Amino acid sequence: MARGRNKFSTAKSTGLIITSLIDFFSVVVIYLMKSYSAEGSILTNADNLVLPNSMSKLKPKDIHVQVAATSDMVLVDNIPIVPTEDIKKIPQEEDDPVVLKLQDKLKACYAQEEEMVRLGALNKVEGNITIQVDKNVPFDVLFKIMNTCGKVGYNNMNFAVMEREE
Amino acid sequence: MGQVARKKAVSDGGHGGDIDLKPFINFLVVLIPVLMLSAEFAKISIIDMKLPEGRGSTVKKAQTDRPMEEDDKLLLTMIITDSVVTIGAKNGFMPTLFYKEYQKYVSKENRKDEVTVEMDPKNPDKPVMNPKTGKPFSSNERQEIMIYVTDENHNVINCLYTKDRKMLSDAIGNPVQSVKSGDTVYAVSNPRRMIIVNNPADFALSPLSAYDEMKNRLMKIKERYKDASDADDIILVAENQVIYDKIVQLMDIAREADFPKISIAKFRS
Repeated sequence: MARGRNKFSTAKSTGLIITSLIDFFSVVVIYLMKSYSAEGSILTNADNLVLPNSMSKLKPKDIHVQVAATSDMVLVDNIPIVPTEDIKKIPQEEDDPVVLKLQDKLKACYAQEEEMVRLGALNKVEGNITIQVDKNVPFDVLFKIMNTCGKVGYNNMNFAVMEREE
Repeated sequence: MGQVARKKAVSDGGHGGDIDLKPFINFLVVLIPVLMLSAEFAKISIIDMKLPEGRGSTVKKAQTDRPMEEDDKLLLTMIITDSVVTIGAKNGFMPTLFYKEYQKYVSKENRKDEVTVEMDPKNPDKPVMNPKTGKPFSSNERQEIMIYVTDENHNVINCLYTKDRKMLSDAIGNPVQSVKSGDTVYAVSNPRRMIIVNNPADFALSPLSAYDEMKNRLMKIKERYKDASDADDIILVAENQVIYDKIVQLMDIAREADFPKISIAKFRS
């Protein structure tokens, strides 16, 4: 009997110290709650693409056609369309520079949206487009892409940026 | 007997399981994965920009159809080239800000390999060498671009900064280089925050960032011309080789200085 009691008391003193574990869990839970988002992320970062930091707090709302310009390729909805080098080769003096391959692809996307309107799935073609541009891309490339998008009819451009931590 | 047991539990410091923590821990173990699944670590947001309906290139329009006869328009323009930033309005230009550009590269293989170099505007594509491996950095490894204001002789101008990296200006908005205790200075945030200096050691002298100085100037313009009919508009004009990162930073400061309607134009030489 005495021995049994002894065993019991030693087991007690070496038992799991649960207080610190709970402290740790509480901290993790609070941290995760801070970065919780109900809607999840609509935009995903394309590979090989570093977005610039910005103070903008505007959240992407809907899914639009996505153009991504990395330093070596321009993609539309994650399908490679034209190398960035080719865009750079378009003469800078041109008044109305258009990236032809990109224009063809965007026209196809726009026609699809028009078809959706005809079928009644959409109210009107809103011309929204999301543009993800690598932060190291020169303005020249950005301008040519913007001009092409505008020509096709995508007038409402959203530039994706990385939200800066305060 | 029951009473004795309870007394005992209290006397040994509550060890005797008066609260059973097991369900609480079970709950946390479930909650943490749920939160982790819906946590968003890298927050992506967007900058909204609209082109006028039915027009592809707005740029030419902004440059040529300038309505000169409208008197209350400000037509504020921010211009960036490879070595200069400046602000122009209908009545002329503000003094040009010369800047020196420093780029910080961090190696992807070894995060400790980092180097900050001064960018030569005449030769922007010159590769930057990794000092450890001797190989050039790729443009993906460029982590940060800092632009500092210089005078005409390319000497970097310093300015006092607060501990939370806000530039200090005096009452009329010039950058402050030195303070004594008792001085009144203003931290450049929107709106300006008045600070009465207690201890000059609270502020540190560091190179004046061209972004901060531009924000300072834009805020001065906003204060003065807030009645203009286009007081929310700003046109950002960039040269071809200006890197997108700098354009986003300038759009940021324009928004911070309360010019939310930003248009982008191209620099025509």
